[in-house]
Amino acid sequence: MLEITNVVKDFDGLRAVEGVSLSVAKGEIVGLIGPNGSGKSTLLSMIARTLDVTAGQITLDGHDISHLSSDAAFRLGLARSYQDPSLFFQMTVLDNALLPVKDQSGEHPWYAPWRRFWKEQEGDNARHASTILKRVNLHNHFANRASDLSGGQMKLLEMARSLMGEPKMLLLDEPTAGVAPALAYEIFQQIAALRRESGMTFVIVEHRLEILFDFVDTVYVMHMGKVLAQGTPDEISRNAQVREIYFGD
Amino acid sequence: MNIDLIATIIALLTIFGISALMALSLNLEYGVAGVPNFGQVLFVSIGAYTAGLTYTRLLPFLAGQPYINACGDSLAQAVQVRTNIMHTMPGVGLANFVITVIISALVGGLVGYAVSYITLRLKQEWFLALVLLVGGEILRIVVRGYEPITCGSNGLSGIAQPFSWIADTRLSAVAFMILVLVFAALMYLYTDRLVRSPYGRLLKAMRENEQVARSLGKNLTRIRAQVMLIGSAIAAIAGVLFALNVGFVSTNDYVVGLTLEVWVMVVLGGLGNSKGALFGALLITIINRVTAIVAIQLNMSGIDIEFNYFRYILLGVILLLMLLYRPKGLLPEPTQTTNAHDLLAENQDGMN
Repeated sequence: MLEITNVVKDFDGLRAVEGVSLSVAKGEIVGLIGPNGSGKSTLLSMIARTLDVTAGQITLDGHDISHLSSDAAFRLGLARSYQDPSLFFQMTVLDNALLPVKDQSGEHPWYAPWRRFWKEQEGDNARHASTILKRVNLHNHFANRASDLSGGQMKLLEMARSLMGEPKMLLLDEPTAGVAPALAYEIFQQIAALRRESGMTFVIVEHRLEILFDFVDTVYVMHMGKVLAQGTPDEISRNAQVREIYFGD
Repeated sequence: MNIDLIATIIALLTIFGISALMALSLNLEYGVAGVPNFGQVLFVSIGAYTAGLTYTRLLPFLAGQPYINACGDSLAQAVQVRTNIMHTMPGVGLANFVITVIISALVGGLVGYAVSYITLRLKQEWFLALVLLVGGEILRIVVRGYEPITCGSNGLSGIAQPFSWIADTRLSAVAFMILVLVFAALMYLYTDRLVRSPYGRLLKAMRENEQVARSLGKNLTRIRAQVMLIGSAIAAIAGVLFALNVGFVSTNDYVVGLTLEVWVMVVLGGLGNSKGALFGALLITIINRVTAIVAIQLNMSGIDIEFNYFRYILLGVILLLMLLYRPKGLLPEPTQTTNAHDLLAENQDGMN
């Protein structure tokens, strides 16, 4: 589904990602791990098209998306979350969730002033949002500002918001950062359930390996901008090179 | 000095309606969508200069009279012709007004749309603010130096409001006041409906975090251009009404100070709240009027203080105090701004 070939990213002469290649199959959950500064988030941003590639190619379902804009990539089915919850903090939880819905007739300035053109669709979307928000236990917070949520709830809202765009692939940047352990586990259970129910594909950058390894199919280990190793969680935990660099063994 | 209370109230409400249009326009652009338009006066002046052009060229044409050069030696004669047409042919005056409003909204809107695209290369949105700030001043200088639009620095008189044919001047002023207030009310309803729709949600998202809104599939380049088109068109309509209210188009009226005054209205009233924009416009209009009256009173009683400058100091102090103690304005933006919550509640009631 996603093919990355020899992707390079330079920041003012500093090479953050150096010739990375990886592939993700449909319905797969892929973990991206590595020490801080190893290039994981940079790679994720390039896939989501929120960052330009310096060289190399990224294809999604055979289409070259290497130079696509982030809004076009989203419309193709690529949604991302951010390391720090990037919500619209002054908007309500419900409005945050409704924003990514595609093809909203009320988002057109000609139709927007006339409620009758979009009332029904907006009502349906709001109902759909309420189902997804209930799923992540945010149903008592519909009308609150997103800034009033706790850190964990913000992460959940960010994920629920991505789902409202009905993506084929979710790119999650540290979905459990700053989240209590019990909730962190719940987030991953939700991820597994989504894959089970809708065949969604995930690429997840995560530091909590103890949780991540319970849920992912394939792990890529990055170090200094390159892929150091890849394999199943079992293989990776046994890999001596990974243990040395990542765990300091 | 005797103050004619009714005349003052009529004048005050007329200016309030025009200011409200400007404030609603900036509130939509910056308060809701986060596009810092520091060129409000650019778009207002486009409306006024359009009026200058249509009243000197289109009006005689509509009345079936030959064009007389509006400036130079025939200036007085041209003013006389304009005034005659406005007083004796109300239909022509009204038609000219309607066409002026349409042309100015189109030109203002297109300029706003184009500027938004041209400044795309500027990465920081505040550069757009600077381009617009300078743009207003450049247009003013060009128009002042180019005679055919407003007779250069002389200005154009005889730009009469469409009800000047009514013999009773008070009735005529009331009719114009009502017209202005109807425009303001319609634009209030229009912008308020936009804000409550999914489009309003999109504009707010653009204000809050552009990168994230883009990564959620929104083409913000187009959205920013659209909101500049809508806001600029409203500002240009305000410019037409402004010129008609003064009865005179002079480049001296369209200086940066006007832009800043509109900013104070919006910050004072409450960014992102259309009601706040109206409230801010009302308060600033009253302050302007009261300080102007006090200035005249002081001058007449022989006190040598130019009280008009006190107004600018007052506006500056208001802006500072608001930003320090009440940055969200007197009427802050409500938490729920879209109709989604009501629709969800209706749906849930329906299901129960």
